[in-house]
Order: sequence, then structure tokens, then C-alpha cells
Amino acid sequence: MTFVLFGISLMVFYLARGFPSAFAPWTQYVTRKMNAQQIQAIIEQHGFNKPLWEQYIYWLRDIFQGNWGYSNWANGLPTYEVFASRFPYTVELTVAATILVIVIGIPLGILSAIRNNKVSDHIARLVALTGYSTPTYWFAYILQLVFFYYFYTLGLPYLPSGGAISPTLAGTVTAITGLPILDGILAGNMNYTLDALAHVILPAFTLSFTSLGYLARIVRASMLEVLKQDYITMARSKGLSEKIVICRHALKNALGPAMTLTGLFTASLLGGAVVTEYVFSWPGVGDLSLQAVFQGDSNFLLLYALVTALIIIIANLTVDIGYAFLDPRVKY
Amino acid sequence: MDLRARSDDARYALHLVRQNVLVLAGTLLVIFYLVISLTANYLVEPSIAYKFDFAQSYCWSNSVISWGKNIEPCPVGINPVLGTDGFGRDLLKMIVLAIPVDISVAFIIVAASTILGVVLGAVAGEIGGKVDEVILRITDIFLAFPGLLLALVFAAIFGRTMQNLIIAVLLVWWPVYVRLIRGQVLSEREKNYVEALRALGTSRTRVLFNHIIPNTIYPILVQSTLDVGGVILTFSALMFLGFSPNPALPELGNLAADGIGHVFTAPWLIVFPGLTILVITLAFNLIGDGLRDILDPRLRR
Repeated sequence: MTFVLFGISLMVFYLARGFPSAFAPWTQYVTRKMNAQQIQAIIEQHGFNKPLWEQYIYWLRDIFQGNWGYSNWANGLPTYEVFASRFPYTVELTVAATILVIVIGIPLGILSAIRNNKVSDHIARLVALTGYSTPTYWFAYILQLVFFYYFYTLGLPYLPSGGAISPTLAGTVTAITGLPILDGILAGNMNYTLDALAHVILPAFTLSFTSLGYLARIVRASMLEVLKQDYITMARSKGLSEKIVICRHALKNALGPAMTLTGLFTASLLGGAVVTEYVFSWPGVGDLSLQAVFQGDSNFLLLYALVTALIIIIANLTVDIGYAFLDPRVKY
Repeated sequence: MDLRARSDDARYALHLVRQNVLVLAGTLLVIFYLVISLTANYLVEPSIAYKFDFAQSYCWSNSVISWGKNIEPCPVGINPVLGTDGFGRDLLKMIVLAIPVDISVAFIIVAASTILGVVLGAVAGEIGGKVDEVILRITDIFLAFPGLLLALVFAAIFGRTMQNLIIAVLLVWWPVYVRLIRGQVLSEREKNYVEALRALGTSRTRVLFNHIIPNTIYPILVQSTLDVGGVILTFSALMFLGFSPNPALPELGNLAADGIGHVFTAPWLIVFPGLTILVITLAFNLIGDGLRDILDPRLRR
């Protein structure tokens, strides 16, 4: 695992500092008014003229001392502060999206499995595959168009088009966890909570739509496997109703692999919510990383890449351990 | 590789395709889009992509769909079926021109990443030991990134030419095949026919490339088909976020990007290119999903 982290840091570092690219690594420390001498002074001050492996060692030393560098385009704040101030919003979005994926995807998969090869199976399969094939930005804009613009012009109650909380309510609740919904509940301010919920529905649904279908297919496949088993036939021949057979006996075993895979989804959602956050102006980390890419901010990208990779690696490990836990035949 | 067995396989597979409505629909859609991409230059004059007429930009004149208020009607005499984009070009014609670009780019990327991934994975599985470790670790590094983000970073750094964008997306997609083919090779190696071939004196390379890989072609085929859709999604998302080499390039994500600032006054710019991407990707996913069911060895015979 550490090797992968090192490998990632090496790769991103080389891409950011060593690769002859459109962005010079000192781009964000330099303004247009500086002449060549001042630029050279900045290069020397930050050590960009040293050989690459030396720069890498200095960077490693800096991280282990807790200094992740500064993001100049974010008002010169330290990178980890910029990251930490926005990360809870991405967490909120990801958790909401995961809940939606589970709540909609699993029943869809079970329905597909029970009515295998009948019309409802085909419809469910079509829905699942459509979710899998939708461009995220397109779906996000369609939702915005319908639920914000058209509902507004038609006089219906409309959902907000962007942001995490209405500008009028922002800052009225002390941020303990950083997630607007939780903060509202902890402070007992239901207005705030409801407003935060209204803001999170559309982005969360957009994010979840792509993975819904995938989870439904997996639940369907594992459910079909389980339903072929002998103990299900036994339960049916005992005279139990189909509902009890499915809910009490088949479900537990079928959902195991699906739930462990949800961990993988969450991890990749955390990293990949870039487009959704961009479209909905959600103040999260994905949107920030997009800005960092366009500004050439290598410090922030390194931090973002490492945190995302760490989360995905941990999720992979959890999934593997989960499999070993659920299926005693898998040994490590 | 018995030819008669293969053709029997293929005939049975076609029979299963005909039975399954969704897969049939997917196949027909894909054929439709392939025909369009091959004949696009004859259906629509390719040079209109660079004829700009800003007097008629962002206008809509088709009375079938009403987008609400604040929609600019087109000047008299111009009747674009799906409205015009920011450069004043007819959107339907631009979409027809953009489809071959997207599909050909997707095929190139999937073919290249399949070849790269299969070769590396086969080598890793066959040689084992240190080489296997190294290839696996490199694959892990690439897989630890969410796809779009990796493509974004590569695209930002490599620069905005078409080739660089293709390489950027390629670098995101090849690792999946390595894992896939490595598992297959590892399990095929234990089988009797490999032992027989080695006993006959066949070299390891020949055994690998002439015998093992063709027998493991089915999962690769399924994964490639599914990946064509995924690559189209990633590539157009990259274009949408602003990495296109040329703002006037006819490409579905690029056409959609034109509409970002005009979501409420010109919604057709995002709706129709996005819908096209959805249908193309859906078609490939339907085929890939159906192929996965058809080629499942447990469900046959």
C-alpha cells in the first residue's frame, strides 16, 4: 500500500514539476508584472531550479513536517487548509449519493432478479444501463433545467440551482462538523437543515444515477445465484410464502457482495464528483481540483491526488476484508 | 482453435441475440450510428463547421418544442431543425458531423488500450515473479485514481492537441485489461492443452499468443464493448470541461460546452448533444451487457 502511495506521489510530482508541460511549476507564484530577474528570484526561493530528485526529497521533508505548500490562487492559504475547509461538503454529497444508490439500486436489482426475463426485468435493465450511460453533466443540467428553471417559470415550488446553502442562511449556524445538514440538526435549526437538504437533493441524485444501474445489475446477478441454491428450494417446499423466502432467506446472502462493493463506489464518488460539483457550484473539493488544474497548482493537486488515492486504497482493502469476512472459503 | 466449433458458437450467439429484445435494439442502434459516422461527410458538408454567422447564434425556430420564454427566434428564412449554436451553425448538422469524430476516437482508444493491456497482462501472467509484481504495482497506481481526474491531469499537462487527449484517455483505460487478462492467463496455464503444447516443443511465446489469448477472448470482447461507451463518456466530459483543441471542433462534448453559459436561454445546446452521447453509449452498453450474458459459459448448452 505504501508503495502505491509513493508511486502516485512520484508520478504526480513528476507530472507537475518535471514534465515539460504547458504550466511551469512556478506559474502560481508569479504575476505578470514581474520581470525576468524577479521570476528567477522566485524560482530560486522555492527551489525549482534544483534537480528533480532533490526537489522530491525536499517536498517529502516538507510533508512530514506538515507543510503542504501554499495555494496562491486561493489567497495564499496553506493547501491543507483550503482542502480541509471544502472536504466536508464533498463528504456530505458523497454520503447522500451513496444513500440514494442503496435505496434505489437494491430494490431495482431485487425486482430484476425476481421477475427474471419478464418485461419488468427488461425495463429495470434498461433503466440501469441508461444510468450507466448518461453523461453526468448532461443529467445535471437537465435536472437543473427542469427542477429549477421550469418549475420556477411554471410557478411550482422549485429546488435551488446551486450551492450548498442559501446565501441568506449561510453562516447562521456554527459549523461543528462542516456538513450543513448535520450542523443544522446539531444546532436544532430545522430551517437550516431543510434548506441544506433541498440543496443536496439534485447533486446527490445526479451523482447516484450513474452508479445505481451498476449496483442493480450486481444485486440482480448475486440474487439469481442465491435463488438457485438448494436451501431456497427447501424453504419453498416447506410452504413458506415467496415474500418470506426472499426477504428472510435469500436477501442476506445476496446482499453481502453488493454491500462491500458499495464501499468501492463511495470511494470513487469521493474522487470523481468533479463534474457534478462544477455544474451545481457545490463548494466541494472536486470543483476546487478543477480550478487547480486550470491554474497549474501542483501543491493542491498533489494533496488531492494522495488523499483520493488513500481513500480508494482503504476502500479496496475494506472490500477485500469484507469478502473474506462474508465468505469463509476465501482465505488470506 | 477449431473453426467449425467457432462458427457453431457464433451461430448460437446470433440466435441468442435475436431472442433478446434489448440486445437487438442495441445492435441496431450501433449499426445505425456506424452508418452515420461512415456517411457523415456525404450527408452534411464538412466545411460548414467553420462557417460562422453570429447573426443567427443561439436561436430556435422549430415549433415542435417550446423551451419557454426568453428564447430567441431565428431570423426569417433560416430554419434549423434543432436550433443553432454559439457560432451560428445548425446544431443537427453539427451533431451529424460530430458523431464520426467521437466514435472513431473511441475505437482508437479502446483498441490501443486493449492491445496494451492484454500484452502487458499476458506477459505478467506468463512470466510471473518480479515482472508480474512490477506490472501489478504500476497497474495499482493507475487504478487508484478516479478515471476522469486522471484524464484531466494528463490532459492539462500534455497540452490540448487531439493526439495528446487520446493518449490521456488511453492512460486511464489500459489497466483494467491487465487485471482481466492476467487472471485468465493464470487459470489457462494450468490446463491440459497447454501442457500438451509445451510437450510438443512449442515456444512459450507461441503458446501464449496463438493459443491462450484466443481462448480468453470472450471477457476481453465484453469489456472492450462496454469500454467504448465509457471512453465516449470520458472523452466528451474532457471536452466539456474545456480541453478541446479548437472551440469550433465538431465533437459532442464540445458542442455541449458551448451551452454552459446559456443553460436557460439556449437549453438545446446541452440537451441534444448530451442525448446523442447517451444513446450511443447506451447502445454499446446494451450490446456489451447482452454479450456478457450470451458468452457466459454456464448458460450455454
